[in-house]
Amino acid sequence: MTDFLANTWLLWILLSVAAVLFWRSRSSQYFQYVFNRYLLALLTLLIVSGIVFSLMEVLPGDCAEKYIAYKNTQGETITQADIDAERARMGLDRSLAVRWGSWVTDLTLRGDLGFSCAKRQSVNLALGERFWMSLGFCLAGLLFAYLIAVPFGILSAYMINKPWVDTNPQHSPRERAFNTLGLVVNKVLDLVLRVVSYLGLALPNFLLALTIILLYVFAGEPMPTGLYSEQWRTVPWFSDEGFSFGKLNDFLGHIWLPIFVIGWSATALQLQTVRALVVDESNKLYVDAARARGVQGVALWAGYPVRHSISPLFNSVGFDFQRIFNDLPIVAMVIGLTDAAALLIEALSMTNDQELAAAILFLVALVVISMNFVTDIVLAAIDPRVRKSVLGS
Amino acid sequence: MQAFLARLGRNRKPADSENDAYYTAGQLALIKARFRHKTSGMVAGCILATFILLGFFASFFAPVDPTIRGADAEYRRGAPQLVYFWDENGFSWRPFTYTYSKEKKQLDLKALAGGDLNALDALTSSGALSSSSQNKFTEDRQQRRYLQFFVKGWEYSLIDLSVAGLNLDLRWDRHLFGVEQGQIHLMGTDEDGKDVLSRTLHAIWITVSIAIVALIVKLFTSLLVGGVSGYFGGRIDSVLMSITEAVRVIPSIPVYLACAVALSQMDLTSVQRYFAIAVLIGALDFATLGRRLRTHILMERNQDYVLAAQLCGSSSSRIIWRHLIPSFTSYIIVDTLINFPYVILAETSLSFLGLGLTEPVNSLGVLLQKAQDPDIQQNMIWQFFPVVVFVALIMAFVFVGDALRDAADPYAEKK
Repeated sequence: MTDFLANTWLLWILLSVAAVLFWRSRSSQYFQYVFNRYLLALLTLLIVSGIVFSLMEVLPGDCAEKYIAYKNTQGETITQADIDAERARMGLDRSLAVRWGSWVTDLTLRGDLGFSCAKRQSVNLALGERFWMSLGFCLAGLLFAYLIAVPFGILSAYMINKPWVDTNPQHSPRERAFNTLGLVVNKVLDLVLRVVSYLGLALPNFLLALTIILLYVFAGEPMPTGLYSEQWRTVPWFSDEGFSFGKLNDFLGHIWLPIFVIGWSATALQLQTVRALVVDESNKLYVDAARARGVQGVALWAGYPVRHSISPLFNSVGFDFQRIFNDLPIVAMVIGLTDAAALLIEALSMTNDQELAAAILFLVALVVISMNFVTDIVLAAIDPRVRKSVLGS
Repeated sequence: MQAFLARLGRNRKPADSENDAYYTAGQLALIKARFRHKTSGMVAGCILATFILLGFFASFFAPVDPTIRGADAEYRRGAPQLVYFWDENGFSWRPFTYTYSKEKKQLDLKALAGGDLNALDALTSSGALSSSSQNKFTEDRQQRRYLQFFVKGWEYSLIDLSVAGLNLDLRWDRHLFGVEQGQIHLMGTDEDGKDVLSRTLHAIWITVSIAIVALIVKLFTSLLVGGVSGYFGGRIDSVLMSITEAVRVIPSIPVYLACAVALSQMDLTSVQRYFAIAVLIGALDFATLGRRLRTHILMERNQDYVLAAQLCGSSSSRIIWRHLIPSFTSYIIVDTLINFPYVILAETSLSFLGLGLTEPVNSLGVLLQKAQDPDIQQNMIWQFFPVVVFVALIMAFVFVGDALRDAADPYAEKK
């Protein structure tokens, strides 16, 4: 009994969250919304697992054939009967729906992602820290994108329709010169960033990675591919002499390249989005009203248009994560990373390892769905407009 | 605005008729008029049109046949040939290039004859045997090759509609320019001796046409999903939208990859494969537009004109196709144009991974794939020409799409 409880922890967590939400939803409209959202997220997950599972069925070959081929290299002669027997043992002769059902129950009851045919070990083991590595890359890329896109997008929106030179006759010549300098600096910054962001849309990530590597080739320096240099690869992080700062230094010298490359196009896209959102909001009447009340400068922008454009942006975090992960496999291939994305490419195009690929795709979808769920309920809690539109309907 | 025009006091048309034209103009005419005022969009549009014309009539503009038939066995891995108007022998109105001949490598094999192993080591490590050093060309400055225009070359079909079922195949054999004898390689050649410029020009149209096919398929799937889901609402809407949501959260490139691997198992010709990939990219990309359309139709379906159509006995499909979707046309057109670069990027990424189109086909993705090769990065830098064309093409698309988005915004004048 305890074994059963220990193995099925995932199911119990899911059920108890649902129970708590359901209990609260009877007295609160907000929790009713959260409960609906939660059920919807679970339903989406179920559909995703179905899509991913049936998608993997179209990949050629199956686990039994690979196992037999592996045995074949050991010098045993294999007949069709052996393949069929192996297939029956692995349960591959059952129908697609039955196998999907058992995959889903394995996952929810035991957190078991299946067995990787090419790696000859369970998917959980094969993925292990590589998945956390990919997650770290994507989150770092996301953070990089937002840290650049949000402030500069706002700046860019602020600079729209602003002149290059301050000609206000009410200002003293000194003030005018000072303001003009500020305007020119901001305008140039805005222009550069917009050109960069257009380039970011036009230059795919892998070309950017290739360009950077090409620059290193011309400079005659060793390329910062992979995660560590040769001499640090086997050094442990913690040894008897304490934390190894040399390894950290080397790691930081390599890690910027993938983060910069995958963050680049997300930054470009976000820059455009933030700019459009803030421009849209800044044309609304409430901003004019605030201006008429005498609110000015930073207080006006931060308090009115910017504050209201943040929520749609925050809402898209999940899909930004998905977009970044989408680009990661190709970047990983160019730079030579060994994370889950590289594993995914390998599983899809080289070894046709269905369960591994399905597991990675499912995990990414899981992260995106949970991000969407969290952002939705947080937004509904803090933004009165969203709360109104959600609960009013 | 009127007061401003009156103050100008020039001999303008009466303001009334101008305003009439403005207020009665259709949605598309307004977009067109606003687009004209956007300089960056117009410039990018001209560049884009040039690219697409160059791509569509690539066989006419390309001086060399891009297939293996036109490969120049005498000029493999050759550098770009420059075009001159004058040199030390004098000036010529007709531009010319020189005759290039392969340099015979003088290998000093005498030292090896004595059995000296150190000399053998030195020879192998010097790179004299590598293929890039074997392909050194000398230009013969006395032998000019003059450029000629509208030369006769290999025969090609200028417009081929036989694919569409029509029996129309215009064949021609004239090319914009060429040289008297041999071939001219303005952007050098690759390792098979195929002309890089000609391949790039042909690749533009292949890539753009894939995007067109993909976008048409995408348009139909999203219209179908969005239209049905928005019009019927209720349970059908929830089911369709949860499927859309599920498709949206799965990263698309791995999905394309899996489908491409499955496709590679089938026995397809390169043309069939090319269409299969375009259809695939289009069919899986319906989520965003489908959702927008659904939201629009959900709001629009309670309007009186829909009720009127229903009372007249129109069927649901007729109301969706003839009444509801046309009210959203301008958005759909703009969205489709904005999506061009992303579809091209998807195709390119697939080809780059070696799973989209493959080598004998001239698509930009196939040509970009070469940029990964360290040998090309170091010894044949001219093969990066397709990369430049690619970036310029996408930039042009992005700028045009951006200007269009601004032009299609009905509140644009308030800014």
